[in-house]
Amino acid sequence: MNQTVNMKVRLGSLELRNPVLTASGTFAAGREYSDFIDLSTLGAVVTKGVSLHPWAGNASPRIAETASGMLNSIGLQNPGVEAFCAGDLLWLATQDVPVIVNVSGHSVEEYVAVARRLESEPTVSALEVNISCPNVDEGGMAFGTSCPAAAEVTRAVRAVTSKPLIVKLSPNVTDITEIARAVEAEGADAVSLINTLLGMAIDTRTFRPKLARAVGGLSGPAIKPVAVRMVWQVASAVQIPVVGMGGIMTADDAVEFMLAGATAVAVGTANFVDPTTTSSVAQGLEAFCRERSIQSVAELTGAVRL
Amino acid sequence: MTCADETARDRALLERVSVLSNDRVAEGVGLIVLQSPRVARSVRPGQFVHLRVAEGRDFVLRRPFSVHAAHGDRLEILYQVLGVGTRALSLSGRGDEMDVIGPLGHGWEIPDTLSHALLVCGGLGAAPMGMLATELAARGVAVSVAQGAPTAPRLVARDLFADAARRHEIATDDGSAGHHGFVTALVEPLLAGDSPDVVYVCGPEVMQRIVAAQASAAGVPCQVSLERLMGCGIGACLSCVVSTVHGQKRACVDGPVFNANEVLWESAEIPPKH
Ligand SMILES: Cc1cc2nc3c(=O)[nH]c(=O)nc-3n(C[C@H](O)[C@H](O)[C@H](O)COP(=O)(O)OP(=O)(O)OC[C@H]3O[C@@H](n4cnc5c(N)ncnc54)[C@H](O)[C@@H]3O)c2cc1C
Ligand SMILES: Cc1cc2nc3c(=O)[nH]c(=O)nc-3n(C[C@H](O)[C@H](O)[C@H](O)COP(=O)(O)O)c2cc1C
Ligand code: FES
Repeated sequence: MNQTVNMKVRLGSLELRNPVLTASGTFAAGREYSDFIDLSTLGAVVTKGVSLHPWAGNASPRIAETASGMLNSIGLQNPGVEAFCAGDLLWLATQDVPVIVNVSGHSVEEYVAVARRLESEPTVSALEVNISCPNVDEGGMAFGTSCPAAAEVTRAVRAVTSKPLIVKLSPNVTDITEIARAVEAEGADAVSLINTLLGMAIDTRTFRPKLARAVGGLSGPAIKPVAVRMVWQVASAVQIPVVGMGGIMTADDAVEFMLAGATAVAVGTANFVDPTTTSSVAQGLEAFCRERSIQSVAELTGAVRL
Repeated sequence: MTCADETARDRALLERVSVLSNDRVAEGVGLIVLQSPRVARSVRPGQFVHLRVAEGRDFVLRRPFSVHAAHGDRLEILYQVLGVGTRALSLSGRGDEMDVIGPLGHGWEIPDTLSHALLVCGGLGAAPMGMLATELAARGVAVSVAQGAPTAPRLVARDLFADAARRHEIATDDGSAGHHGFVTALVEPLLAGDSPDVVYVCGPEVMQRIVAAQASAAGVPCQVSLERLMGCGIGACLSCVVSTVHGQKRACVDGPVFNANEVLWESAEIPPKH
């Protein structure tokens, strides 16, 4: 029973000690969560989206709870890449965990400028390019909902970075596999999915939308079946690894994503309910394998029996 | 008051606690007492806890509540029943367990030189004033309280304020207790008569804004405790921003207490209608 499980997985050239990541925007840079968990128990920390210049984000209210989930319209508020490098990144350099920086932009040039700035930072293990944020007016999701635009951003960022490049896909499309193939063809090392589903909620007492921006991104357990389906479709359509996310609360949820074809998984909204979720999902995943005498967690990837 | 420095940040605790009692104390309001040794011993006036009000398979975000009082191992929370979360809270009873993150946020600043404080609260704004009034009284500060509520049966913490305050004035919207009208009508005479060194305010945001203006006109520093919808409660998700003269601040770590003159009220959140 003391058999050890090999928990390592690879995303391109990036080797992770286990498959559990944090979902961008739900974990900041990890500092707040280090009060509750040991960050070195995670596969990687994925940071909040970072843009070239500071972004103020959207008006309040920015969140609304919905059945089994929540809507958010934070709007990629961040202090810009320079402040990020001088602040959170310096702190992350002192932590024993790989760092994946989530990159945002209003334009192809902005994505490129952020990627270029991060190229010289040894603390950054990989980039996750967010072409799927539903909460900004320009850029964001617009790049993730058209094949030519998704391809263009990927090509441009690929040209300026030698770091592993993950492209984060939007579920707000008719056929997510087309976008996945387009970014794979331009040199993405992995894809991550899903970002939030565009949604809306209205307060029936005031007749006003619950979010100041009217619409926002739906996350949490409510979206998990959609996310598992998309991971399954994308994993069947591309050769590169898939990072699966959307509603993961438990190790069992993570197993489901891996069976559907994910190589790694990310935990987002669940961090708000229980700040130790990432760490307990990693432990639970290992226990799941041990109990079934699965020697390597990577064996779960795509193991769904059809 | 400066906003919480990251390096000086207090560690937040995650604690499994048990319910000691949970009673109705006013119309639509409950007082829950939790056995929470670690949080109760480190909490300061104006800080809050993020409570996991429901567990199991259902996904429900945590809910933020001010600490009303802390005695030894015991933490008291005064809550108004509004929706799913507070209804779940109202159904828990002695022996039930839940988990708490706390103590969170930047609480009331109490200057060393303080000799007279005016506390102004409306509705459940009385909740974060409990610990403050007790602490001020223990330090020998003269405390005046102006308290508002819609009706007399909805007034909370009357005994606590009666014990801690030298002066306790009440206003109700329907005139069923004290002054007939808004609590803001009590503030100007108290500012003039008592010459407080600081005004502390909590309640609906419109009311806080008016009191902040009254204090400013009287030249008295004013602190406000602002509510925002909160996701993480620990500074990570940026759900809870407050616009200030120093840029956007997070109510959960830089607040909930802010200097009134820092807050840009123009862009303040429209308070939810209770
Ligand atoms: C720092 C802080 C301290 C607080 N302290 C207390 C306290 O001591 N006692 C107390 O009774 N309440 C307090 N609140 C408000 C409390 O968190 C909400 O009333 C509670 O979350 C409502 O949950 P619910 O599930 O019952 O309501 P929901 O079903 O979520 O919502 C019902 C109604 O309550 C409103 N509401 C929901 N969350 C909040 C919120 N965070 N702030 C204001 N309105 C909200 C909604 O807009 C809606 O109108 C505090 C809030 C903050 C941010
Ligand atoms: C409050 C919040 C902020 C988010 N910010 C970002 C972001 O900055 N960049 C990004 O790529 N995704 C962002 N996301 C999306 C998540 O990373 C994730 O894709 C999505 O929430 C689904 O996972 P979950 O259900 O586990 O939360 C955010 C999600 C939430 C809830
Ligand atoms: S509630 Fe998440 S940052 Fe304040």
